[in-house]
Amino acid sequence: MKLHSLRGKKLPTYLFLALCFNLVIAPVVYAASSNELSRSQAWAISLLGLGTAGLAAYLFFVMFAPEKF
Amino acid sequence: MQGNSTIQSSRQPQGPRENRKHISKAKMSGLYQRAVKEALVKLDPRIAVKNPVMFVVWLGTIVTFLVTLDPNLFGTVQADVNQQRLLNGIITLILFFTVVFANFAEAVAEGRGKAQADSLRSTRSDTIARKVLPDGSIHEVSSTALRRGDQVKVMAGDVIPADGEVIQGIASVDESAITGESAPVLKQPGTDIMSSVTGGTRIISDSLLLRITQDPGQGFIDRMISLVEGASRTKTPNEIALTVLLAVLTLVFLIVVATLTPIANYIAAFLETTLGATAANTFRSGVSVAILISLLVALIPTTIGGLLSAIGIAGMDRVAQFNVIATSGRAVEACGDVNTLVLDKTGTITLGNRLADQFIPVNGHSLQEMAQVCLAASVFDETPEGRSIVALANKLGVSIDLNNRSADGIEFSARTRMSGTDLDGREYRKGAVDSVKGFVRSRGGAAPPQLDAAYERVSRLGGTPLAVCEGGEIYGVIYLKDIVKPGLRERFDQLRRMGVKTIMLTGDNRITASVIAEEAGVDDYIAEATPEDKIDVIRREQSEGKLVAMTGDGTNDAPALAQANVGLAMNSGTQAAKEAANMVDLDSDPTKLIDLVTIGKQLLITRGALTTFSIANDIAKYFAIIPTIFAAAGIGALNIMGLKSAESAIVSALIYNALIIPVLIPLALKGVQFRPLTADQLLRRNIFIYGLGGIVAPFIAIKAIDLILPLS
Repeated sequence: MKLHSLRGKKLPTYLFLALCFNLVIAPVVYAASSNELSRSQAWAISLLGLGTAGLAAYLFFVMFAPEKF
Repeated sequence: MQGNSTIQSSRQPQGPRENRKHISKAKMSGLYQRAVKEALVKLDPRIAVKNPVMFVVWLGTIVTFLVTLDPNLFGTVQADVNQQRLLNGIITLILFFTVVFANFAEAVAEGRGKAQADSLRSTRSDTIARKVLPDGSIHEVSSTALRRGDQVKVMAGDVIPADGEVIQGIASVDESAITGESAPVLKQPGTDIMSSVTGGTRIISDSLLLRITQDPGQGFIDRMISLVEGASRTKTPNEIALTVLLAVLTLVFLIVVATLTPIANYIAAFLETTLGATAANTFRSGVSVAILISLLVALIPTTIGGLLSAIGIAGMDRVAQFNVIATSGRAVEACGDVNTLVLDKTGTITLGNRLADQFIPVNGHSLQEMAQVCLAASVFDETPEGRSIVALANKLGVSIDLNNRSADGIEFSARTRMSGTDLDGREYRKGAVDSVKGFVRSRGGAAPPQLDAAYERVSRLGGTPLAVCEGGEIYGVIYLKDIVKPGLRERFDQLRRMGVKTIMLTGDNRITASVIAEEAGVDDYIAEATPEDKIDVIRREQSEGKLVAMTGDGTNDAPALAQANVGLAMNSGTQAAKEAANMVDLDSDPTKLIDLVTIGKQLLITRGALTTFSIANDIAKYFAIIPTIFAAAGIGALNIMGLKSAESAIVSALIYNALIIPVLIPLALKGVQFRPLTADQLLRRNIFIYGLGGIVAPFIAIKAIDLILPLS
């Protein structure tokens, strides 16, 4: 797929950025869990946390621009 | 407003409203199969994101699906992995169906509108039009090639190619394609009402020369299609307010559920260092992500979130079923909030077919002399009133010969409030008594004292007195009899109880207006009203913070229709009136405005009732889920329903949560039964039924599901 065909697609871009950002969050979660979680579980939990934060941001957006929904 | 109503609608509604044909002859077969497919299509995230509450459920479904595949994805589970996987799978399935049911509700409502649109679209097929070129020759073109201002000739059997106005000819037109009424309508040039034709209707006799008034794609049927199909549907202010409320509630519960486990574990860690491991374990949360998502879904108002758009679409559909086209959902909702109805007397409050009942001669003239003048003044008057005057004069043995005589008809105008005939240099006039008095004075005559007595006598009977004169000589008063529509007094009483004020506008004198107002039971009236009075009264009411509804059909009504919060134009009215209004009544029945208030209120009540029910449901769900999943924290006693286990409680609550959506679809589409009560009474009634019912029903249903489920 060429780069210009990805430009109009926001969702894959946001998912890719979230995965990249998770590279920062996941080690923090892993370190804080005192070996109770595996690395993959820490990765999944931090991704879930990011998703929840994104969902909260989306709901804030709905509150401020309800006519778009 | 057609002034003192010398112009009448060319078609009056036929018989009782419930017996009339409506445009809902759309094919509804296969509606549910299409809705099921559409419900699955709406799972596309780009569509799902438009409904915030259900989007949260949809995302929750994806996460529970992931933990079904790998129960240890977000942490090692304490319970048996296969058992956990089964529970997660059941939760995923229920959440998925919750989203599908909500989509289905919306798809059913949309499907009904689309079926109507398809039915209308079939009338809009491309036709061949006979375009009249500037040199007078006729050239056949496609109807899509016609532009505003073009002239076309249509003949018996032709489909009228586009919206237009008649500039030549008289013909019968079958408008059943848009109105459902099979009775043909007479179309002719020169009048506001009867010269307007609609594209897609069929001419069934003679021929007409038309001037096209709309470019392709902007005609009346095109606009109707886009409205009933929901293409131009925008959120109403109430829907926007409710969307914000639902987003706030969802966000609050999302934050609560997301922070529940971290806070519990934080407190547990603190207690472990201070009070020991036993105290800490009561707080430590072992709740899985799937259960937290179940809790979130149970807490957020999914019922109203799933049904909100269906309620709005169904409201538009109910208006369309009533043969009224609304330009927006906002207009339908505004009907429910209306405080003041401004109604014309003639045709709205009275039957409108005012007929000459009696000639009352004055000034020493005989009945025959007066009848002769009445006949001369009405010979060119084609309105029902004018024809009834001619008929009454003929009945009295009077006739007129216009051969070899110079005769000109003088049309009625709202300014002069007179009409008549100039015959061989003599001026015959009839009209409002004050106007005729002024005319007589301007011709050097004077009004006799008996005129006022006759005028008062007719007015006190609730009739319309028309003075008749020849030059400066008054001959008498014509008694035009009109009848108040049966059942209107009860309707106005209902409206009063609902807090809606009714104002009657009439061109009639004060005495007639007061008699009719008293008989009909309106709250206020404005006599001798001009078209400007209508807009003045609307502005005055609006300045007091009220929402005003009115009906109109003439070009001079257009400013008032645009000014009113709800403007209902008659389909038989002019293009200007239809464009200024936010609703068009295809039956051209002005009394329908009262029914629209009822439909608007029903829409608002339905939305309010289901919102109350949805939020009240949450209470039972708290009692079902929270005591069972946090039993370790010592709140197990709150499991007042005695549910078998945490798993059974969660699944029962989620099943109820999913099933209540399809159960309430018929109510959302049909609307809550409307009762003409005051706002306070309605509030009390709805809080009792939907508030209390919303608390009790899920307790019973969740307990019943819990008993049926094989989960232990």
